[in-house]
Formats: sequence, structure tokens, C-alpha cells
Amino acid sequence: MNHTLSILLQNEAGALVRVAGLFAARGYNIDTLTVTATHDPAVSRLTLSLQCDEAALGQILQQTRKLVDVLQVAHPATALAA
Amino acid sequence: MNAPALKAETTTDRHPLAGHSMSGAEVIVQVLADEGVGVLFGYSGGAILPVYDAVFRHNATHTCVDGSAEEVREPMRLVVPANEQGAGFMAAGYARASGKVGVAIVTSGPGATNMVTPVRDSMADSIPLVVICGQVGTAAIGSDAFQEAPVSNIMGACAKHVFLVTDATQLEATVRTAFTLARSGRPGPVVVDVPKDVQNATLVWQGRGELALAGYRARLRAVEQAVLGDTDCAAFFAALLQAQRPLIYAGGGVIAAEAAEALRAFVDAFGLPVATTLMGLGGFDSTDPLALHLLGMHGTAYANYAVEDCDFVLALGARFDDRVAGVPDKFAPRARFIAQVDIDPAEIGKVKRVDWQHVGPLKRALERLTAYGRVHGLKPQLAAWHAHVAELKRAHAMNYDRESALVLPYAVIEAINRHAQGRAVVSTGVGQHQMWAAQYFDFRAPRHWLTSGSMGTMGFGLPAAVGAQFAHPHKLVIDIDGDASIRMNIGELETVTTYGLPIKVVVLNNVGDGMVRQWQKLYFKGRFAASDKSLHKKDFVLAAQADGFGWARRLERVDELEPVIADFLAYPGPAFLEVMIDPDAGVYPMVGPGASYAQMITGDFIPARAAAAARKDSPSHMF
Ligand SMILES: Cc1ncc(C[n+]2csc(CCOP(=O)(O)OP(=O)(O)O)c2C)c(N)n1
Ligand SMILES: [Mg+2]
Repeated sequence: MNHTLSILLQNEAGALVRVAGLFAARGYNIDTLTVTATHDPAVSRLTLSLQCDEAALGQILQQTRKLVDVLQVAHPATALAA
Repeated sequence: MNAPALKAETTTDRHPLAGHSMSGAEVIVQVLADEGVGVLFGYSGGAILPVYDAVFRHNATHTCVDGSAEEVREPMRLVVPANEQGAGFMAAGYARASGKVGVAIVTSGPGATNMVTPVRDSMADSIPLVVICGQVGTAAIGSDAFQEAPVSNIMGACAKHVFLVTDATQLEATVRTAFTLARSGRPGPVVVDVPKDVQNATLVWQGRGELALAGYRARLRAVEQAVLGDTDCAAFFAALLQAQRPLIYAGGGVIAAEAAEALRAFVDAFGLPVATTLMGLGGFDSTDPLALHLLGMHGTAYANYAVEDCDFVLALGARFDDRVAGVPDKFAPRARFIAQVDIDPAEIGKVKRVDWQHVGPLKRALERLTAYGRVHGLKPQLAAWHAHVAELKRAHAMNYDRESALVLPYAVIEAINRHAQGRAVVSTGVGQHQMWAAQYFDFRAPRHWLTSGSMGTMGFGLPAAVGAQFAHPHKLVIDIDGDASIRMNIGELETVTTYGLPIKVVVLNNVGDGMVRQWQKLYFKGRFAASDKSLHKKDFVLAAQADGFGWARRLERVDELEPVIADFLAYPGPAFLEVMIDPDAGVYPMVGPGASYAQMITGDFIPARAAAAARKDSPSHMF
């Protein structure tokens, strides 16, 4: 199933690479990725879409939340925010 | 692990050096000093020279007197390995044995890349490290400069976190935050990459402050403050009281969370037998009647049969890894209820669906459950299950050919164990010797068993022992190594003698990569590609002597075993014992890849249950 995640990320050296690297290392294929500025210059928003089942989605959300620079991960479709 | 996590927010005292001018390198050393770091493991080089110089100056101006020995010693001892990988495993051995954060400092480029393996190893086993890497100057980053490596990219893929410090004013807070990150929540290695100009920058020491990391800290706070409510406890006990055969599956989290005492109290209160993972050894006294020792691929037959028979599993800081639950559906197939407690929300239900869960500090969770059960007078009636477990332990005890004319590794470990009695710190390489050590040693307390569990990194044992001996100068530290594993970091033999460490190094020599051969016998028709070392020329005893070991011997005869081991362990300084073991000795029991515990093979000396023993295609004859 297609899922869209919205990630708020601190603008630190290598932060984007770590998010992309996590997805690559755990075998999740990113279909689209958009990075946009937010009103806070220290924070960017990543909007990311991928294909996966529900179980994998749960893992992706949890693993992404372990990244230190990640402020928030949301899955708007299910409002699984944290 | 948890207490100091949010320290910076509560510290209000002004640091005595606040407002002083310092170089970046001095700032790094001052943070280390404030964190109580007494020993550093590392190797110098161009891009880290300012930090090493600052350590030198710190030690020259801050000598301190050791209470017991009355000797003057350096407050921040520098231990230099043969290779940075050695420094990383020393820091990891120090952390594993002490529970404190291990610190390693290396130069840029090759120094940092040599550190990748211990960082990944520590991540996989949840070991807290802070690794400081020198980096080329900020202006040179990205220019393919001399000894430049993309440390933030490389380490970002394998550490808990990496900081590349480009703004010197953030250096102090960053290094301090690295310690908080390393030990908080699920512990892990944190790398701080510091360009040389940042080390040389002139800064004003603040003496307090950490990076905000709002997301991490909010999630950490939520996990650390999570409490088990009455309904959670009631649901847990309702299921437990319905169970006839409940079992605890205890992992490395018990040790990381300092929860061994709480586990002891829980077991005393409710009587659940405990099987332990490779990382959990020492989390529960393996000599206890309710201890089932190791479970999994090379677990004891009785632990694995108990898992097969149990109807309730309580997983504590354990993650159903593939060496335990190779086939998740077949793991604990009769369990009607699985409960899991972990500090990492991502581990809940990752491999196996669970019926009850708690994400939070394990110690507090166990204390809460124990208190709840006691207050409500809840006590499972487990007499029949206890009798069953006792019978499993009796009928399927670990055993081997006690009449063998060749020295058997099991007998060597048992002999060492009779002296150590669960009180020595034991490190290992990776392979058969590691599994024999896990199976045949007693483990009575946490932090006495140092092994590369998840990564399974050969070469871990010797440097880990060095780190452990620095953590516990007066404890007996034994490295049980393999002839191939020890070769990987054999340069560290010299480190042992340079620092006069009384480590006891044992090489169980089966002339090759025994574990690889075991798999080749089982699954590749005995074609020993690249695993035989009979043409190798190394004389290990001469090598140890050349590196200054005052006691170095080769043991080849069964009748010499007891006296030689007694002599070896009694030697006050660094001692090296090579034991020529039966090269055909196998690791039993074994749950092969893809097999269930019921299909475990137990070899010729551990009775299997009828069903498995009768299997005609049992590959045990191939050992
Ligand atoms: C760095 C590394 N390379 C390769 C392996 C794969 N491997 C696992 S066990 C083993 C053999 C180890 O031989 P030895 O240290 O002599 O131990 P033994 O099994 O003979 O007791 C090998 C090559 C590994 N675990 N680590
Ligand atoms: Mg070997």
C-alpha cells in the first residue's frame, strides 16, 4: 500500500543522509521525497512516500523515531504522530 | 543508565572554570574530566594532535593519588592499542564490564575507519561509547584532503548518532550531549567528528549546557516516565495465573538496565524459570535451580525444551533475534501469551506479535510487577512445572565424552570455571570457543561476560579483556579466544604487557575456523574452503613470549589439564595458555538455521528427546 510520511527534521550536518540511509539500510524503497523549509530555519520538513504493508509501516515509524535529529514523524493517513 | 539523562536541565551549580578561555581541544578534555572519564583508549595522528596534547597537559597538571595504593597516577590514563579497532573494543570492554560510557579517541581518515567495526558492534549490542574523531579542517572538508574520510556518512549508518562539529561554539555542548545520548534510553555509540580548526579555536568554557535535541528528549522522557498502571499489572497477572508453564526469556536489556536484582526479586516472588540469551548471561545466576542458562541456536537442550514446552513467555530486554527465534512462528509454539518489556518501542512486536507490552525502564517495571503481585497475593502454582524443569535439566544436562584421549574444549572451560566460579570477567572471540564458553561457564552476576553477540566480531576478545581489566584492576579477567579470532587483533598481546595487565589469555586451538568447519561439515559436505589452518606456521607461545608474557605455555595432554590451568590462573602477571584441542569437537546442542527447537540436534553425549533423536537424517554423524 502507498503511504506518505511527514517528518520534521533538525537541520544538522548529515541529518537528511541519516533518514535516507535508514530507509535504504532497512530495505524500504522511497518513491518520492520532498524537502521543504519551515518557518523555523533550523527545521525542515520531509515528505516521503513509499510502498509497504501495515507491519512494515509500524517498524518504519518506530525506527525513524530513533533518529536523534528527527523531531516528529507523522503518518497523516492514520494520524500516527509522535 | 537512565538517571543522568536529563542532567543538564537540573544542574545549576556554576562550574569553577566557567568563563575561562580554552582551546577546543581543552574543552573536549574538560568535558571528559567532568564526566569522570578515567581512561581513554586511542591512537594519535595529525588531525587529533591538539586533543592528545591537551590530554597530556591535563595529566601533567592534575596528578591524583590513588586511595588504596597511595600511588600517584594520571587522572586520564591514555591507553594506546596496536590498531584503532583495538581501542574501540577496549572502550567497549570497559563499558560492558563497568556500565560506564567507554571513550575512544582517534585521528581522521584511517583512524576513524578502523573504528567503524567496534562502533557498529557496540550499536548492535547496545553498548554506550563516545568516540572522538579528528577531522581535516572545516575549509578542507570535501576536498579529498589528506586523511579525509566522510565520517559522518560512514558512522551515521552504524552509530546511535554522529555529530560533525562545524561551529566551534557548539563543541562543549556537543561533547557533553554525546555522553547523554550514549547512555540514555537504549544505549549505543555516539561519534563526535571534530575538525582540526575547531580543536584549535579559542573558546570560552561554559561549564554547563547541552544541545536541545527536542525530539529525542521528548521521546526519551515519555519512555522513561512510562509507568505500569494497575490495569496493565492486572492484565499481566491474569494471564500469568492462567498459565501452567510460564517462562522468562531474559536478554541483554536486563544487564543494560541494571535490572538483575529486580529480576531476582521477581523470580523469588513468582517462581518463573529463566532462560537467558547470549547477551543476557549474568542477568540471572546460572547456578540457580530455576536458571535454564542459554537458549537459542547453541542453547542448552533443557532451555530449548523448556521454551518448546512453555505456555507463557515474558521477554525482558530481549528482541527475538534470529539466533533465538530463527523461525519466529515456531518459537515457543505452545505459548498462549507473550509479554514483552523493552526500552525501545521499535523492538515491541518487531519479530513476534505480543499480547502484552510495556515500553519503559525494565528495573522499574519489574519492581512494579513484583509489588503489585505481592500486594494482591498473586502467586502462580508452579510445582508441576518446576518438577518438569528440574527433570529437563537432569535428563538433558550439558555433557561430552569424558573419556576422550584428546583435550576437549568443554573440559578446559569446566576446569577454568572451577577456579573462576562465576566471579571472573570472561571475554571471547567469535566461533565455537565462544559458544563453549557461554555454555560451560557459570554466570553469577551481570557484567562478567563480554562477547560480541549481535555482530559476532572475531578479534573482540583480547581488546575487550584489556578494557575490562582497566575497569576492574583487581578482578580476574580471562580471554577465551580462538586461534583464528585472536589473530585478528593479535597486536594487542603487546598492549597487555605494555600496561602490565594480569590478563589470562586462553587460545583454544583447533587449527582453524572451527565454527566455519562445523557449518561446512553440516551443509557443504565437508569441503573446508578457507577454514583450515594446518599450513599456518605461527607458534602462539613464542608470539606471546616475544610480546613479553612472563607465563606462556602450550597444553596438549589431558593429564596436564588440571595442574597447568591452576598454575596459569595463579600467575600474577600476564599469562598466555594455548590449548591444542580436538579439532573435531563440535558445538552441541545446535538448532540449525530454519529448524525449530524440537528439531535441535544434541550430539552423542546429551540425550535428545525421542522424536528428534530418532530422526534418520540427523546430521550429527558428520561431526
Ligand atoms: C571479523 C569476522 N570475520 C569472519 C567471521 C566469520 N566467522 C565466524 S566464526 C569463524 C571462525 C572462528 O575461528 P576461531 O576464532 O578459531 O574459533 P573456533 O570456531 O575455531 O573456536 C569465522 C571465520 C566473523 N565472525 N568475524
Ligand atoms: Mg579455531
